[in-house]
Amino acid sequence: MFRFVLLAFVIMCGLAPKAYAFDSDLLTIGLADDTVQITTGFNGSRLTIFGVKREQGDLAIVVRGPERRVTVRRKGQSLGMWRNVDDMRFRNVPSYYDFAMSGVEREIAPAILRREYGIGVDSLNFDALGRNTEAEIRTFREALIRNKQMHGHFALEPEKITFLSDEFFRVDFDIPADVPTGRYTIMTYLFQDGRAVGERKTDLRIGQVGFSASVYRFAHNNSLLYGIAAVLMALFAGWLVNLFFRKE
Amino acid sequence: MQIYLPIAEMTVPAESILLLGTFVGFLSGLFGVGGGFLTTPFLIFMGLPPGIAVGTQSNQLVAASLSGVLAHFKKGNVDFKLGGVMLVGSLLGSVIGVSLFKLLKHMGQIEFVIPLLYVFLLGSMGLMMFYESLSSMLKKKDVEGDESSKLMHHKFFTSLPYKMRFPRSKLYVSALVPGAIGFVGGLLVSIMGIGGGFLLVPAMIYILGMPTILVAGTSLFQIMITTIFATIMQAVTNHTVDLVLAAMLIFGGVVGAQFGVRFSRKLKGSYARFLLASMLLIVCFKLAGDLFIAPTELYSTEVN
Repeated sequence: MFRFVLLAFVIMCGLAPKAYAFDSDLLTIGLADDTVQITTGFNGSRLTIFGVKREQGDLAIVVRGPERRVTVRRKGQSLGMWRNVDDMRFRNVPSYYDFAMSGVEREIAPAILRREYGIGVDSLNFDALGRNTEAEIRTFREALIRNKQMHGHFALEPEKITFLSDEFFRVDFDIPADVPTGRYTIMTYLFQDGRAVGERKTDLRIGQVGFSASVYRFAHNNSLLYGIAAVLMALFAGWLVNLFFRKE
Repeated sequence: MQIYLPIAEMTVPAESILLLGTFVGFLSGLFGVGGGFLTTPFLIFMGLPPGIAVGTQSNQLVAASLSGVLAHFKKGNVDFKLGGVMLVGSLLGSVIGVSLFKLLKHMGQIEFVIPLLYVFLLGSMGLMMFYESLSSMLKKKDVEGDESSKLMHHKFFTSLPYKMRFPRSKLYVSALVPGAIGFVGGLLVSIMGIGGGFLLVPAMIYILGMPTILVAGTSLFQIMITTIFATIMQAVTNHTVDLVLAAMLIFGGVVGAQFGVRFSRKLKGSYARFLLASMLLIVCFKLAGDLFIAPTELYSTEVN
């Protein structure tokens, strides 16, 4: 399978027109699977990206989940007990974030550029809602990133990009079992001498399929019937117990 | 084996869930309790959102209570009229409970309030049962709370309006009393995910003055209808009933209950109550400890 994909890529590279306009022609990106399918037995997965770059330079690949609003809460002590006492809301928080680089962060691109393209966890910009001081926002922002990293939804460090030849590369991202579902985007950037010369956008869908998906759709599209079905299942089980085990 | 829960949208180890279901089923067979007081905290401890834990647990309680209701119904030990009056209260209680749950979640206090309520409930019930079972074990006879049974003749309860006759239980009391007991039961189901049998049963005996033989069947009947209603409401308003999780809990419960019932024949009533009381107190101490011990991470996130 892997060899086939590799071969297909090599052929594609040969056939592709070599007109180097800015952007997209410098890079070709392909996913081994363009969907991550969550089935009942799903226990995480691996996302493999293949690509070809047609010029010298460093690569950065960013995987982003759909953006969400997130509330960050801080616990404090009252009457000796710990409970949430403060919170801050952020918007534009990617529900999932992972990235890969072909070199050292600082060397690939200056901080201002990394920030512009959202390369690296520190360069993510989500907006705090409501009136807060800069210091507060920084603390809550760091806490948000720490939490996301702890749950494995934000990258701790960049994945490695493996070059199979000078042009042909491969990256493997590990997808955790509780990965947020939705439409993902994968951005690939090519940097030369600290400036971006090429970029490529690829879509990825992560969602439940099969039985799992049917249950989810049933619960959300027809919640009343779903509730009744849940009750009937429980009643049936209770009745069976009574039938078989409580004869005496 | 890992299994993906479609509504919780996360993976859990199936063995742990089945084991939890079996253990709780064992307890329910042994003591005749629903066991929600163990399931809900454990599910939350395993990392499930409190909403899913409570919503799914109410579904599991439907199965657990039906098999009990049927057994009592065959012996004619269910007072449907009294149960019906309790239901009026409990349905109201669960509507308010579901809204209260939503409000507390919005305020970010649900993870604080649920353990706190558990500490109060388990602590007080556990201590009372502990004392009662210990004294009856020492005296070698069952002490039926002589002082507390006078509670129903208290001026407050006799002076309430809307008096009703309940021929099956041979009672003439204000409908407000069973209604209020049911109301508390409804709150417990929708906020804490417990049937509340361990609270309802003593209340029906001591406050209502109901014949003991009818109490178990009637409270189970009331709990069953309430949990049916709560399950449907949680599914419609919050989408927090996970069928896959519920099926595993129910299956484990069925298996465990059989062992529990068999084992209970070898266990004297006061010893069983002593064990149950100890268990309530252990869970209570654990939850109380978690409230007071400083967490390693002060910050938490929630997706809106």
